[in-house]
Amino acid sequence: MDEQACPRCKTTKYRNPSLKLMVNICGHALCESCVDLLFLKGSGSCPECNVPLRRSNFRVQLFEDSMVEKEVDIRKRILRDFNKKEEDFATLREYNDYLEDIESIIFNLTNNIDVIATNKKIDQYKRDNRELILKNKSKIGREEMELEELLEEEKQQEEIKKKELVKLELEEKKKKIREKEALIDELMFSNADAKNIMETFASNVQAAKEEAKAVPVIRATQFSTGIKFSHQRQQTFMPVPKIEEGPLYEYEAPKQPTDGPVPPTWQDLQEKGYVNYVEPERSEQRAGGYRANISCMRSLQEALAGLYHVSDRTELVS
Amino acid sequence: MAGLCEGGNEPPGSLKASKHEANRKFILKHGANMTEEQRERTFLSAADERLLLRQYELQLRDFCRRFNPPMPRSVTGTAFHYFKRFYLHNSVMDYHPKEILVTCVYLACKVEEFNISIQQFVANIKGDREKASDIILNNELLLMQQLNFHLTVHNPYRPICGLLIDIKTRCPLKDPERLQPGIDELLDRTFLTDACLLYAPSQIALAAILHAASKIQENLDSYVTETLFGRSATDILPNLIEAVRKIRSTVKSIETPPREMVRQLEKKLEKCRNQENNPDSQIYKQRMQDMLDEDDEHSIQTYARVAREQASQEERLLGITRVLSPSA
Repeated sequence: MDEQACPRCKTTKYRNPSLKLMVNICGHALCESCVDLLFLKGSGSCPECNVPLRRSNFRVQLFEDSMVEKEVDIRKRILRDFNKKEEDFATLREYNDYLEDIESIIFNLTNNIDVIATNKKIDQYKRDNRELILKNKSKIGREEMELEELLEEEKQQEEIKKKELVKLELEEKKKKIREKEALIDELMFSNADAKNIMETFASNVQAAKEEAKAVPVIRATQFSTGIKFSHQRQQTFMPVPKIEEGPLYEYEAPKQPTDGPVPPTWQDLQEKGYVNYVEPERSEQRAGGYRANISCMRSLQEALAGLYHVSDRTELVS
Repeated sequence: MAGLCEGGNEPPGSLKASKHEANRKFILKHGANMTEEQRERTFLSAADERLLLRQYELQLRDFCRRFNPPMPRSVTGTAFHYFKRFYLHNSVMDYHPKEILVTCVYLACKVEEFNISIQQFVANIKGDREKASDIILNNELLLMQQLNFHLTVHNPYRPICGLLIDIKTRCPLKDPERLQPGIDELLDRTFLTDACLLYAPSQIALAAILHAASKIQENLDSYVTETLFGRSATDILPNLIEAVRKIRSTVKSIETPPREMVRQLEKKLEKCRNQENNPDSQIYKQRMQDMLDEDDEHSIQTYARVAREQASQEERLLGITRVLSPSA
């Protein structure tokens, strides 16, 4: 690992263990004392790239590589505007393209490639999607609010639990003391056998313990974090994917060209008595869904289909 | 003996023409460097083939009749169909009919859901049963392929059933069951003709019923013209009458081929048949053996091939990088 050093005063972590490197939006690091020195007036320019900076924008460098810091900064800024969600896209492909776009913008800005064009692109995007950006921002705000509420609730529950615990412990202690005193009193003033007294007290304590155990366990309705089950369930809806709706499907009965006279209908089979001439189905056949009129219909259809057929090759080979 | 070019003036696409084409192709392939005269002496003509096929159709019928357990008629019908269709595009000299015949019946049993095992099946065959089952199983896929995998066959039996129901319902004919013997007779005989390749099964069924009616001196003409067709289809009626007439006349004109001639042709066939498809020939046995060996050698060969391909690909890739490198 490289030794961290301030590029201006050349102080290293080795020489000054309390060295803190700070970064600003340009991504160049300075040590805390240099920042104090250079930005006395609250604003100045970066000693390396001369970009005007404000002192209030300096923050402690978290990553060793200052380029990463710069990227994190830029990413934060870009994502504030590019805040579309997967639900806003019709297909996964489009969403992925959008993510790809964001990444290339961030990369360009981080590495100073085509900065002007990229900024133009961002402006264009902001103008095109102003409404959606606002909507999503408020949505994110709402989500954060909910999360905070949950955290708050959790905290409160924790506190209540703690108080109860303390209270219980206190009571326990008091009880023990009281029992001890009672036992001693009994031993001092009673005429009964000391051994007997000890035994009755011991069994009393045992009974009390069992009683405490018998208290029914309250059924858990919450996670250990205090979030209610039902509450949780309501929130875990999967986003409904958007589907492009085409024209409604319309059923068309299939056409069966028979090339012959029209066969009788299902109704005719019964009414005109065709069914009387086929073997009626047995009850075990009925179980499988077979009816006599099915085979009757099939025979009639096959008898009539193709009667109009005209063979082009009318000669028979003898 | 009929000339080789006899089928040449048949209309293209007709049954005769395609059979003739199959015959001609075989002769051109196997008698490429023979004179016209030699060919005529060596090979069977298209007419000879037809005669032989007729003979084997009779055998097919008898085989199905004697089959144990007795098979449903639809199996017979389907087997006939397969047999006829197979030899539309294949020469008798290429595949011997006695082998294709049993294969057709075996496949028909399967398709018509007449469940029977190969052991049970070859029990009906005289001679070497093991060889027979080998022949059948080896030819089964070939047969299916030659049928273009169109295995469903519409036999005229169900249309007969339907027409009888219709007659019982809409025609005042007394006791239509009397028609049955006449129907069966005609249907059995149509399978010895090419009618099932030319006409719709319902037309064959109608012809059979009309034939049976005329045999018991009943007249169903008014039923056909009035009830079955009605007024809407009078223009199609002549066509149907013609079809029925032709089916009946061809069935009448069936004659069994003369035995002496058949024997001669069989002898000729033994000599000129394609030895590659003869299970008794050395070539056939060799080929089967090769196919078995191939499985063993297969893995070695595949490895060699893959290695070779990889080498050539690498070479090509290197070649490309060499071309690219100066500009890079």
